[in-house]
Amino acid sequence: MIEPQKLASTSGGTDVSPGEPAAEPDYSAKPSRTLEIAIAVVALVLSVAALVLSRDIVLRMGGGGIDPKWWPTMLSCCGIALSLVLLLQAFLSTSSHRGDLLAIERRGWTRMIVSLTLSAVYVFAWSRFGYVVPTIIFTGALLWVFGLRSWKGLVIFPVAVAIFIYGLFHLLLRVPL
Amino acid sequence: MTALLAGIGAVFEPSVLLCLGTGLVVGMLVGMFPGITATMAVALASGFTMTLEPVQGLAVLLTIYVAANFGDRIPSILINTPGTPASIATTFDGYPMAKNGEAGLALIVSALVSAVGILASMVLFASASVPLAQLALKFGPSEMFAVVILAMTIMISISSSSLTKGLLAGVIGLFIATVGRDPITGDARFTFGIRELNSGLDFIAVIIGLFGIAELFDQLLTHRDHKVQPISALGRWWPTRSEYKRIAKPTVISGIVGLIVGVIPGAGGDIAGLLGWDRAKSASKTRETFGKGNIEGVAASDTASSATLGGSLTTTMALGIPGDSVMAVMIGSMIIWGIQPGPSLFVNRPALVVTITTIMVLATLVTLGINLVRMPMMVKLLDMPKHYIWATILVFCIIGTYATTNNLFTVTVMLVFGVIGVILKRCSIPAGPIVLGLILGPLAEANLRRTLLIDGPAGLINKPISAVLLAFAVIAVVTAIATPILARRRQKAATVQSN
Repeated sequence: MIEPQKLASTSGGTDVSPGEPAAEPDYSAKPSRTLEIAIAVVALVLSVAALVLSRDIVLRMGGGGIDPKWWPTMLSCCGIALSLVLLLQAFLSTSSHRGDLLAIERRGWTRMIVSLTLSAVYVFAWSRFGYVVPTIIFTGALLWVFGLRSWKGLVIFPVAVAIFIYGLFHLLLRVPL
Repeated sequence: MTALLAGIGAVFEPSVLLCLGTGLVVGMLVGMFPGITATMAVALASGFTMTLEPVQGLAVLLTIYVAANFGDRIPSILINTPGTPASIATTFDGYPMAKNGEAGLALIVSALVSAVGILASMVLFASASVPLAQLALKFGPSEMFAVVILAMTIMISISSSSLTKGLLAGVIGLFIATVGRDPITGDARFTFGIRELNSGLDFIAVIIGLFGIAELFDQLLTHRDHKVQPISALGRWWPTRSEYKRIAKPTVISGIVGLIVGVIPGAGGDIAGLLGWDRAKSASKTRETFGKGNIEGVAASDTASSATLGGSLTTTMALGIPGDSVMAVMIGSMIIWGIQPGPSLFVNRPALVVTITTIMVLATLVTLGINLVRMPMMVKLLDMPKHYIWATILVFCIIGTYATTNNLFTVTVMLVFGVIGVILKRCSIPAGPIVLGLILGPLAEANLRRTLLIDGPAGLINKPISAVLLAFAVIAVVTAIATPILARRRQKAATVQSN
């Protein structure tokens, strides 16, 4: 059989500096019963909502039997059943592991939320002001958020990316940007 | 004969060769940067291959698939970090070899056996796909439904750490596929009056969201500042005659493992690599040095994971069922180009099947050639700061998605699914079964409804093929439930014994 320690060492982020022993802090995400219960409850609520929406599908011709409501209804019921099993497992299971997941870093939320917000603003700005200027500002802002502080990088890289994308998509692939 | 010549000839058009070169560069880079998987890259590339001709687009996507399979071994060997999950097992012996001053040798052996694995798997594709497709042509609605259920249960039982969460992911995928017009009556379902949803959710946007954006967001959430120094003393490159002899046996053993695993829907190079390494270790005379820098270990893991490519392609093209997650994305692109993978592809477009084989073989040979050239530049590239990679991925995800429909609504869908994807990932709900459900949902629903309308529920088990396939699906689920229980019992027994 495959040695368990070998498999354990393959989880994400197994960076080891060459020549040094592989001892490093454990960054793997910790199991949490509360999280598992929350996952099951949210899945249950969403499955029930899906069931209600499935029953509300408006049919042009008379329903009944194997009509367009039938398949989504069946899937919603499967979702409810699986959510209940998950809930049961969350209460009964003694240990739960979280696969290869790494624990969230302190600045991680900021990076993700700011990136998402910038992306939403970018999509809006693109529709209002066109492709070029918003793309350069967006790429530069992302680099700043991700930790780049060199002004050369913050200027040259976004301009290069915008030009490359314009050339590739607009000129070569004829995608109207 | 005409189809053969036309199929091969299509690849040697200058524009197709240019696409092949582009895919090669992208694939090698993708493989080399840990965190960017081949699935993510193919999903991203799907965005900007939409406007290309099918053969050109396939040249880009298939070459990325092949080249990433070579590139991902480099960080495994040099910095002990798999470039993609398929090269997890390479780290077992590759990195210890590098620490022993044999990085160059490990890189060359890895490239050679990867090429052997892919080429062997293409022989499987060329010989097995036509008979398999001919068998599948006889399938009616009940058999097709059974194939879909079998594919989904196998993928779920293999890819998920929790069977319940895997099944839930499959159900989510099937449910998402119901958005839009009903496949039989045309009634609108879950469109909420939004015109863009009438034809369903844009497949590529969902995939880029689930694989590209979700993966990126997860990296943003969990990244820590590490200073990783890649090994720069690469040592000698070419194996000696005795080393060639040593790697022959593990290459054959693990190659067979890879070919078998590749044909199973949903099972990819990561599983094959681990199994191949394990089997080769059991059969080796020097098994005690496996995991400590044994050249046989590198040969075994890389042959097995590479040998899955042709098997995956066989399942995808002959049955229309994705062999792995990359193939799931590829099916989406092919459908947009008007190509429906499945048994009819071999009847309707035999030349295209030859073209696909030629692209795969050519891409393998060219990538091997590049890998055999000493490239210290590769080591330098591993030092590229994350902020450039992240920003580029995000910008390309947005522009690539926009290119599929020229509509910013699609970009919004992609971002929404990116957020959903990262939430699901943090909840350990796998994305693979969702995508499989999304692709196979319409096929499953239409065939199940037809079966039930024609023959009633008995129609599913009255026909021998569908009955056997459904029985296999049940076995897959039961095995997935029983295996961890048995493992826990064995572990308990071992603990009691040791105490």
